[in-house]
Amino acid sequence: MSNTLIDGLKERVSQAITINTSVGVILPSSNYSDMMQALFEYMSSRNDHFWVYLAISKPYENIVKQFEYASQMTNIRFIDCVSRAAGITNKDPNCIYIESPSYLEKIIIEIMNIFKEVGDQLQKTLIIDSLTSLSIYNDNALVTEFFTHLINRTRLKDIHTFSLAIEEEMDDYINKIMYLRSNKIIKLRESFI
Amino acid sequence: MTNSESYVYNQNRIGLNENENAKSSCPCITGIDELDQKLGGGLPSGNTVLLVGSSGSGKTTLSMQFLTNGAKIGERGVFFTITEPLFKLTKNLEKFDFYDKKMIESGMVNLIDLRIISERLGLDAEKYTVEDASALLEILKDIADELDVKRLIIDSITALCYRLQTKEMIRDFIFKLGSSLASMNCTTILTSEVPPNEVKYSQYGIEEFIADGIIFLGDVDRKGDLIRTLQVIKMRGTNHSRTKSAMSISSKNGIELTPLLKSRV
Amino acid sequence: MDLVKVQLTNSEFLSTGIEKLDNLLEGGILKGFTTLILGSPGSSIEILSKQLAVKGKVLYVTTDETEQEVMDAITRFGWKPEHIEFTDIATKYSKSVLSREKKRVSIYEQRSKLKLKELIEIGSSGVMPAVKAQEDFLAIFSNSAKTTSPEKIILNSLDFFLSMYSQEEVLRTLHAAKVANIERAGVLFIIMTKGIHGEVFERKMEGMADCVLELNVIQKGSTFERFLAVKKMRNYAKKIGIARYAIDSDGFVLEMIERIM
Repeated sequence: MSNTLIDGLKERVSQAITINTSVGVILPSSNYSDMMQALFEYMSSRNDHFWVYLAISKPYENIVKQFEYASQMTNIRFIDCVSRAAGITNKDPNCIYIESPSYLEKIIIEIMNIFKEVGDQLQKTLIIDSLTSLSIYNDNALVTEFFTHLINRTRLKDIHTFSLAIEEEMDDYINKIMYLRSNKIIKLRESFI
Repeated sequence: MTNSESYVYNQNRIGLNENENAKSSCPCITGIDELDQKLGGGLPSGNTVLLVGSSGSGKTTLSMQFLTNGAKIGERGVFFTITEPLFKLTKNLEKFDFYDKKMIESGMVNLIDLRIISERLGLDAEKYTVEDASALLEILKDIADELDVKRLIIDSITALCYRLQTKEMIRDFIFKLGSSLASMNCTTILTSEVPPNEVKYSQYGIEEFIADGIIFLGDVDRKGDLIRTLQVIKMRGTNHSRTKSAMSISSKNGIELTPLLKSRV
Repeated sequence: MDLVKVQLTNSEFLSTGIEKLDNLLEGGILKGFTTLILGSPGSSIEILSKQLAVKGKVLYVTTDETEQEVMDAITRFGWKPEHIEFTDIATKYSKSVLSREKKRVSIYEQRSKLKLKELIEIGSSGVMPAVKAQEDFLAIFSNSAKTTSPEKIILNSLDFFLSMYSQEEVLRTLHAAKVANIERAGVLFIIMTKGIHGEVFERKMEGMADCVLELNVIQKGSTFERFLAVKKMRNYAKKIGIARYAIDSDGFVLEMIERIM
């Protein structure tokens, strides 16, 4: 039963990511872990992609504990925005730590720096997990500006973006920018299950 | 407008500025891409630029990156330190990937402790007389000439001004230094230390008027987190951008800039 | 008068060497006392400081005039010091200034290619040459009394030290000198210009001293009147008084004595 759900999600992720330059995913929090599982399984299955995973919802540590194979993947880099702010001082060569989720410019710089070194034969994709957690630490107007800015710069370099937003945490602002800046919106509903 | 169009547009704009500069000479590229872009190519060659910031704002790092990037394209540089002894300076520099010991060994980047020089000249450590100041000025010029440098840093002009006793002496010193280095087509950065959270470009209030350009390193508060910023306040002979950039300092890339997101504060 | 003579022979006191001043002080300066002499500019305080050196076994610490200059002045007045030794800080100081000046390499010499290369080399070496510390004049002063054990120490003047050291440092040294003076049962004169070191510091000095003499010049019409006041005398309240004085070929002449108490 559960597998069917994950497979279904993977299918939708796969379709959306390949076709569209920027995908927005709005999902209820109850489906967050399913989405994560589908996403990571999909990422590990695609060697022709290079992924940058922007971790704002939870620390990198927690993510690799759940998906151990992620730390072994050579085509994924993490940017962790929450560990340092939470006082976690772990280090990992696979992850760049940013002192605070409010250092939005630094986040942009690090994302662009990682992709700069990736060859053109790989499809570059940025995962933002999640826009709604970013808005916990920043004013909405700032998140809007950040997102707009980021989308402009990633598009210029042919980098696809895949942005998550938790439905319960969303407000009009996030909703608006998701719809304005994404080529494709995937909306998960509990009814879907 | 599509993305590729906007890219071309940008390129043209930079091209335009380069043409304007071409009348005088090629700009002295800092090698920090976003900064060169802001300046319309780089610092105007032979200019004297005041690099202003509070302690820890990245003045020394930026100056050093400017020197090492110059060395990479064959432009020799000299760094005069007044506030920090050389061993401390190099210890801090070793953290950065842009620093290469070979540049020092080959003489492309020269680090000189100005206090040792002035001690050797028999200058008072605390106060300079008018004669002392002109002796020091001559030596700085001679050293720049001897080493054939195109880039020169004094870190910090504030510490030097402290030893010059009157505003007239400070004015005279910076003016003469600037004009003689300009005639050698040597681009100069003078770092200027100011108290934090103050919009002030120099400690003595004169340095800023004599300098050809001012680059201000500051920070903005975002919900209690301080974000480093860089802004070009003035730059004679360029059509520079006046927007504020966010600045990042990392050991891997040194100084990097990106447009500052403007929060509604 | 007889009383004074009796007191002069009293071993508790040491004569200043100026009879009328001894009278004003009713016998001289009590042994172990530290005396601060404040003088406003034009009070001829430097003459008084030399006149005090005539009597007794004296150590004269001179900061502005050299030993020779002091002796020349004393000879001019026809005084014959009983026993005088010098700590000549003035000469030491001018020597150190001179040597610093000599070390200064001529800019023209430096401009030769060879010298310039050498200069760049040492500048890049990052090794600060061992700077020979300037002589510590305060230490010279505080050590000077140890070797000779004088009855009288005259320090002329404190102004020199205050121009080179912080007030705290100077006070610390003076406290030590005061204690040493008590142990030696000598008298210590400290000369200082009035009104240039700040009121607070003057108060501190007056507080530290056992006896305070003050020389003042007051303009009256077209003439100047000079006064010597005994502002403080520890445990001898009635010794406080004031006298008009003049300077003639014999030095200080005290004219009229007024008791305040």
